Amino acid sequence: MKIKKKFLILFLLPATAAFIFVYAIPLVMLVSTSFTDWRVGSAPIFNGLANYIQLFTADRQFISAGLNTIIWILLQSTIHVGIGVVLALILARKKFYWKFVRTVYMLPNIISSAAVGMMFVMLLNPSFGAVNTLLGKLGFTNLPNWFMDPGTAFGTVTITWLPFAATVTILVMAEMTSIDEGIMEAARIDGATEGQINWYIILPLMRNIIGTTTILAATSMLQKLDIIMMTTKGGPGDRTLNLPAYVYQTAFTSNNFGIANSIGVVMIIAGLIVVGIINRIYKIGKNSAEG
Amino acid sequence: MKVKKAIIKTGIFIFVLFIIIISVAPLLWVLLSSFKTNREILGGGLGLPAVFSMKNYTDALKLAPITQFYINSILVAVVSTAASVLLFGMGAYVLGHFEWKFKNVFRTLFSLGLLIPGAALLQPLYQTFTSTNLNDSLSGLILVYMAFGLPTTIYIMSSYFQTIPKELEESAYLDGAGFFKTFIRIILPIAKPAMGTAGVLQFLLSWNEFQFALTLTTSNTKRTLPIALYYFKSQFASNYGAMFAATIMVVIPSIIVYILLQEQVVSGLSAGAVKS
Repeated sequence: MKIKKKFLILFLLPATAAFIFVYAIPLVMLVSTSFTDWRVGSAPIFNGLANYIQLFTADRQFISAGLNTIIWILLQSTIHVGIGVVLALILARKKFYWKFVRTVYMLPNIISSAAVGMMFVMLLNPSFGAVNTLLGKLGFTNLPNWFMDPGTAFGTVTITWLPFAATVTILVMAEMTSIDEGIMEAARIDGATEGQINWYIILPLMRNIIGTTTILAATSMLQKLDIIMMTTKGGPGDRTLNLPAYVYQTAFTSNNFGIANSIGVVMIIAGLIVVGIINRIYKIGKNSAEG
Repeated sequence: MKVKKAIIKTGIFIFVLFIIIISVAPLLWVLLSSFKTNREILGGGLGLPAVFSMKNYTDALKLAPITQFYINSILVAVVSTAASVLLFGMGAYVLGHFEWKFKNVFRTLFSLGLLIPGAALLQPLYQTFTSTNLNDSLSGLILVYMAFGLPTTIYIMSSYFQTIPKELEESAYLDGAGFFKTFIRIILPIAKPAMGTAGVLQFLLSWNEFQFALTLTTSNTKRTLPIALYYFKSQFASNYGAMFAATIMVVIPSIIVYILLQEQVVSGLSAGAVKS
């Protein structure tokens, strides 16, 4: 159907304006000032690639933030996605509990991450937290201060997001409804077990959606500022520092805008690389026959 | 064979039980603790409180301007949701329903946001907002949240508009209705399911958002609930009960919205993900 130009422009205006103001302009500022020396109170001065060279060769905090982020991306795209997929396979059998489990599993995902962080801070509090109380009752002694001890901090932060894969479960389950029941019926008649059906029929058909959820899970690790700020603020030392938290620190605590924006650019590029790699691994978009 | 089956069944049982426990137990413990006295909390009991007291809630409201934060959160979430389904709905309508030049350029443009981690834009956005006086204002937050929901809203709504038969408007035009009137009177009412789906996701995004609320607001009169938890963590440190109560007050609205509109949340997530 055709549309008059004035209506077209009018109707596109709000979305375009929001896009320009919140994405396009800041993005241009981000990239251009990432090549400058720019601190609070002074004007940006072009310094070429100096920020990037500084980050990758001399900034130990950046290196640890980067490594932590990479480890979290790897864990999230494997274990997190794995948990979600396994649960989807279980719930897809539509036993009496499936809807209940799907509903409650979603709860930690729909409440504010700041509140999730707060809940874990309290749960793992060394003096009154439920976890240490419970472990104490089971006879364990010398329990750690989970978020503060260098040995446990990283694992503890990881636990606040790693097992909560409800989005993966929901997306995989939605896709599973598109499988032709006849295929599975035929397999059952041929004597295939549930495990074989899952492994040889369902999972290969789910390749695209698992790839998509892996992208969502992996890139979400480039967004985790809320929980870090509520729990460890990147500490102890830089044990739990990630790239978003380091951007925040650099921009708003050290007020070094030039460096902060180069980290921002690195994050965007990292995100694109992650998406590219996962796309390749899962061959997203191609159908199963082309494999 | 029978033994193997039993092992698998037990494994599944333990796994599902584990999932239920990690999803519900922390919330339940925080909820129960929010009714306990400080002494009960420090005693580390896991059971029910001796008396269900609301004192922690009144304490929390006294310790931090939570009422103000609540009002701010409601304003930000409601306005950004309504504005986003209406204003971006207009864009989604012309994208999903008509043929025109550069359509695909705009489609790609609007979905680009999915590829940009919000934290990367923290400083530039702070800068833009300071120079346009949108910093530390609720309208600034509303604008940011709308824009960050833009890719999903446009996608969900334009897919829906694609399915609406064109004959509908043609007859409206024949009856002499204008383009705008047709959109408001005929198209939007039909698109209610899509507005619901996109709206729920936008509401949750705005209600829960943390990093921009943290960087783009500076005064208590402009802060939203998730930030309350961050700024008053130390204030609450001497009154654990209030800390539990404050956490519950922050999560309750999201949980209610989700329980009431579960189907929209589920279908919204599925639709949104296909895009990326």
